[in-house]
Amino acid sequence: MNPSVAILCLVLATAGLLALPLMPAIGELRKKHDAQPLSVIQQYAGEIRHFASGFRNYIEPLQQRLQECVALRMTAAGVLHQDDEYLLLGEVDQTSLSRMVGREGTTCPMLVAAGVDLVLPGGLTFRKEIFAGGQFLGGEQSTYRAILGDKQIHLQRASKVLRWAHAAGSFQVDHNCDLYGRVSSDEQMLLQSGCFFQRLNAPCIVMGSPEVTADGNGSFASAISTVEPTPERPARRRLIEGDWEIQPGEVVRENIVSRGKLHIGAGARIFGSAKSNSEMVVGPDVVVEGSLISAATMHIGPRCQIRGPVISEREMVIQSGAQCGAPQIPTTVSAPIIDAEEGSLFFGTLWAREQGRVIPKS
Amino acid sequence: MIYLLFGIVILICIYTVRHYFFTLNRLFGFQRHPYIDIDTADWPQVTVLVAAHNEEKVISHILTALMKVNYPQEKFVVMPVNDRSTDRTREIIDSFVQAHPGRIRPFHRIGGKGGKAAALKDAMERIETEVILIFDADYIPGSALIKQLVAPFFDPEVGGVMGRVVPLNVGTNLLTRLLDLERAGGYQVDQQARMNLRLVPQHGGTVAGVRLSALQEIGGWNDNSLTEDTDLTYRLLLAGWKTVYQNRSECYEEVPETWAVRIKQIMRWAKGHNQVLATYGLRLLFGKHLATFRERVDGLLLLGVYVMAPVTIIGWLLALAVFYQGVNPLHGIIALLSITAYAAVGNFAAFFEIAAAARLDSSRERVRLLPLLMLGFLVSIVAVSRAVISQLMDFLTGAQLHWDKTERFRAPS
Repeated sequence: MNPSVAILCLVLATAGLLALPLMPAIGELRKKHDAQPLSVIQQYAGEIRHFASGFRNYIEPLQQRLQECVALRMTAAGVLHQDDEYLLLGEVDQTSLSRMVGREGTTCPMLVAAGVDLVLPGGLTFRKEIFAGGQFLGGEQSTYRAILGDKQIHLQRASKVLRWAHAAGSFQVDHNCDLYGRVSSDEQMLLQSGCFFQRLNAPCIVMGSPEVTADGNGSFASAISTVEPTPERPARRRLIEGDWEIQPGEVVRENIVSRGKLHIGAGARIFGSAKSNSEMVVGPDVVVEGSLISAATMHIGPRCQIRGPVISEREMVIQSGAQCGAPQIPTTVSAPIIDAEEGSLFFGTLWAREQGRVIPKS
Repeated sequence: MIYLLFGIVILICIYTVRHYFFTLNRLFGFQRHPYIDIDTADWPQVTVLVAAHNEEKVISHILTALMKVNYPQEKFVVMPVNDRSTDRTREIIDSFVQAHPGRIRPFHRIGGKGGKAAALKDAMERIETEVILIFDADYIPGSALIKQLVAPFFDPEVGGVMGRVVPLNVGTNLLTRLLDLERAGGYQVDQQARMNLRLVPQHGGTVAGVRLSALQEIGGWNDNSLTEDTDLTYRLLLAGWKTVYQNRSECYEEVPETWAVRIKQIMRWAKGHNQVLATYGLRLLFGKHLATFRERVDGLLLLGVYVMAPVTIIGWLLALAVFYQGVNPLHGIIALLSITAYAAVGNFAAFFEIAAAARLDSSRERVRLLPLLMLGFLVSIVAVSRAVISQLMDFLTGAQLHWDKTERFRAPS
């Protein structure tokens, strides 16, 4: 072979081999398969009622027919958006219930929309969403994918919500229910002991029956503390290297940041916020006007009142009578694991990233 | 010479290990997002500063977006900081002020020292809210972003907050696509890993927030700094304030579309970083202050990033010199194994980080561009080295550092 040709071949072969790994890159550069900006959420999908609002829009085309069913006290079925079977209930009786659960008798494969009060027997599984225009009373040991209630929702013992549930009225959950995903109410929520939850939101969330809340007279409102929130928010910060203890009854008019453990003694009042980079223990009857933040575990004692957000990066225990937020100042309580005792009260959002439990009063 | 080369190799190895450590942390470690759940609260008063210098192409976009955000209106004021603009920026801002009475309080700056830091410093005299958010004019915040950036300030230890920057003009050309990958690696992996590991997430000066009392405590904005954001990060750190990173608080930005603008941008960043390194480096590592040990080490490594460019070039030259001098520093087989191991693993540390970011972002095809990043890497290493040399010359001649605004490419609306 001519040496010049051989050299040329060698150069071309080398160049080809060098270019080979770049072929996918050049292909992507030319064809732009993935050249769109990353999707940034411009609207707030994290809003607790996001799915409930979406479902309400989804079933909007059914509303007129549902009202007709109610007026005629009849049941109707059909297909929504081409592939979603639905059942409209203008009256709830044995016939409509039989139609709902089919031959199998325990599983409803259809989207159910009821224009009247919906009282369901126990042991049922709903594979699709439920809309209740009236009150909703779910039987024991039932499983729901999602529920949207225009009035009250009441889930009886050992029921499960798999995705989300929202009640425009109050939301009552009996013992040993599991609430996965987002559960919310526009009025108030009551969860009995043994319930598991992830994300709850309501103007008022009560753990345990109202009888065991702080004053024991059965009223949610009467359990709410009378200690008036103050607008005072000190900007000054005290930074402590290591552990720190706020003495019982001490009044603190600054923000406290501890690089170690933080113990807040019984009856102390903090007009600012408190942060611990390790364990935080809040004694009984403490009032904190700002937020409580712990980089580790947090224990909130009985009858404490925390106005601002309460955040723990690990576990949080909230004892009976403690209240987070206030009726006019809703707030967020968040931790991977939350144990809320019966009798604890929350105003706003209660968010257990991994698992929240309602535990009996100690 | 050989010991200098050894020193450089050790430095490069440290940065390589750091890259891998961050990447593995992002892929398999515990992820910290402690404040992202705060969706209900008694939200504080907040002022949003929009730094604008000749921004007629983009200013209306950000003001429109800010008028739609999900935040209590009575607690939210937008303050465009119109810094000596000579184009239609003032006119556009004033039209928004008229259209949204009481919601926009403009600060038209007509004189004074140049640069973003100087403009922000002057704007501080007009701010009374404890929480301040800062955006550059080419950013487009989503409706949830304000609450997400404000939420960390409920933590009394937090002095600064940084959100994630996402390029909007990705598909324009090769440069924008490479910058998209670089940004993904820098934020999705690097910043979040530093947040996870309680190190030093960096304040970026945009899509960011600062606590007024913390800012006042450290003496306000440093208008002598080319990168006021890096300067702020370190002064907050030395004073015991934390800067936190919120990876899910994302905001679109416009990245440079020409290499000339990109080179100018990275040279400014390099000079600014090095300026902060020279000012605070020793004090950060050995001084008596409130930063933890791990923050001291990570903070120094972060500041040293831009110094590594000329150091790497020097390393290459030294390696060549050593080779041609016939120096045999190690036993042959160990040297061979070391070089092979580094070639197999070390060279790819930064690329591995970016690939991991692409995976975390669930973007599948763009990762194919990874080999082309070598081009961006070479341009950056030369530009940064030029910046270092120019900075040394400036230091020797006593020349003043000069702040250059990054050019915008968006078509005006």
